[in-house]
Amino acid sequence: MVDYTGPASGTDPFSRFWVDLMSQMSGAAGRAQMGTPQEEVSKQMRQAFFDSWAKYCDDFMRSEAFLGMMKKSMDNALAMKQQVNEFLTKALHENQIPARSDTDSILLVLRSLEERVLDRIERLSKRLDGLERGSDVSSSIASSAPAKPRPKGASK
Amino acid sequence: MTAASAFFPWMMTPADLERQWSDYLGKLAHVPKALEVAKKVRVGATPSETLYRVDKLRLLHYVAEGKPRYQTPLLFVFALVNRPYILDLRPGKSVVGHFVRRGFDTYNLDWGVPSDGDRFLDLEDYVERYMKDVVDRLRDRTGCDQVNILGYCMGGSLSAMFTSLHPEKVKNLILLAAPVDWSNKDHLLARWTGADVFDVDKLIAVYGNAPPELLQGSFLMLKPVSTLVEKYYSFYENLEDEKFLEDYFAMETWLNDNIPVAGETFRQFVKYCMQENRLIQGRLRVGDRVVNLRHITCPILNLTAQEDHLVPCGQSLPFNDAVGSADRTSISFPAGHIGLAVGSRANRELWPKVCDWLAERTDECEG
Repeated sequence: MVDYTGPASGTDPFSRFWVDLMSQMSGAAGRAQMGTPQEEVSKQMRQAFFDSWAKYCDDFMRSEAFLGMMKKSMDNALAMKQQVNEFLTKALHENQIPARSDTDSILLVLRSLEERVLDRIERLSKRLDGLERGSDVSSSIASSAPAKPRPKGASK
Repeated sequence: MTAASAFFPWMMTPADLERQWSDYLGKLAHVPKALEVAKKVRVGATPSETLYRVDKLRLLHYVAEGKPRYQTPLLFVFALVNRPYILDLRPGKSVVGHFVRRGFDTYNLDWGVPSDGDRFLDLEDYVERYMKDVVDRLRDRTGCDQVNILGYCMGGSLSAMFTSLHPEKVKNLILLAAPVDWSNKDHLLARWTGADVFDVDKLIAVYGNAPPELLQGSFLMLKPVSTLVEKYYSFYENLEDEKFLEDYFAMETWLNDNIPVAGETFRQFVKYCMQENRLIQGRLRVGDRVVNLRHITCPILNLTAQEDHLVPCGQSLPFNDAVGSADRTSISFPAGHIGLAVGSRANRELWPKVCDWLAERTDECEG
C-alpha cells in the first residue's frame, strides 16, 4: 500500500507518480519499432500514460489517506445537510407549514396501519381456512357415516 | 521519413503536424452532425406495452411478431439504481431482443423512480410485495405455475432472494453480474462502503432516499481515468463515425439517467448485504423470513464479466456453491459490467448461448 501521508521528498507519491508516468511513456515510445508511424507511437504513449495514471488513481483511492478524507468530507456534507434540514423544518413549522418530518410521520403511521390491517387479514384468513377445513372434515365424516334409517312414514 | 523521426518515432515532423491539424479541423466540422445525432438518439429497441402498474412499478411486455414458442414467461429484473432500458438499449444491442426473437414470452420489471414518499420501502416491499405480485400476475396471465427470471446486478441479488423464498414459483434463474458474496473486501467499492468509512444510516436519515448523484459519482470514480478521460478521448477520435456516435449517445443517455434508491432498501442492502455479508451466510431477513439460498433448487445460470469493476466475479461465483440446485452453470465472459449486456461481442457470442441454455430447460408451447 502506498503511503500518501508522508512528507514530500524525492520518493514521495507525487514525484513517483510523474517519474513513473514519464518512464512508462518513454518506454512505450522506445518499444516502437523503427518505421512505426508517428501516430501509432503517440497512441501507444498515450495508452501507457492512461494505464499508469489509472493504476495510481486506483492505488490512491484505496489508501487510508483517501478513505479518511472521504469519510471526513461525507461527515461534513451530512452534518451541513442536516443543519439545513433542521433550519428548514423550523422555518416551515414557524409558519405552520408541514415539513418533511411531518410527512415522514404520516408515512410511518400509514405503514404501521397497513401492517396491522394485513396482519389482521392474515389472521382472519387462517381462521377461515381452519373453519373450512373443519367443515370439510365434519362433512366427510357425515358422508362416510352409515345413513340413518329413514323413519317410517317419512316422505321422499 | 526524416532521420530524426526514424530514431525517435514519437517526434513529430512538420508533415505529421499538418496531418493532425487537418484531422482536427475535419473532426471540428463534424460537431454539428454529432449534435444532430445526440438530438435524435432513441433508446429502446423492442416494442413493448405496459401490462400492469402498481405504485411506481410497471410491468412491460415485449411484443413479438408471432405467438411465443415457449410456455414459461421470462421476467427481467433490473437493479434499483438505474433504468432497466439498458437491457433493450438499441437494435443490435438488446438482450431482450435475443429472447423475443427466439420465441420467449418476455417481460421487464421497471421499478420506477422512488419519490420522497417511498423512502420507507424496504427489501420486503420489493421482494415480497412487488416482485411476488408481478410473478403471481404473470402466472395468472400465462397459466404457467412457474416463471423464468433473469436478474441483472442488484436485480440479480433481489431475484436470488425471491427465488429462495418462493422456489416453487421459479423454473429457471439466470443471474447477470449479480453480487451475492461481499466477503472479499479488497474491491474498491467494498472499501468505500465499509462500515468504518460509510455511515449509511446517517446518509439515509439525512437524505431520505439514496441520492442519484452520489451513486453516479461513486460509480464513475471507480475508474476515473477510463470514465472521465479516455471515454471523451475516444468520443473525439470517433467524431466522424455516425454508428459510434449513435451508440455513444444512447449509452450516455442511460448512464446519466440516474434514479434515487428507496432509502430503507438502500440502507438494508448496504448494511446487511455489503457490509455484513448476510445473504450468502443465510442470515438475511426479508420481512420475517430468512433468506436461505440452499432453498433454490431450480436450474441456475450465473453470468459474470471478467473485467467487471462494479461486481467482480468473486462476488457472483460463490452463488453456485451456495444454492441447492443440481443444475448449475456459470459463464465468465471477457467484458465489463455493462458490456455484458450491450457489448457487441456479448451480443454476438454470449446471448445466443444463454438463449440456448434457457430453451433447453423450458417447455415449448403445444401446437
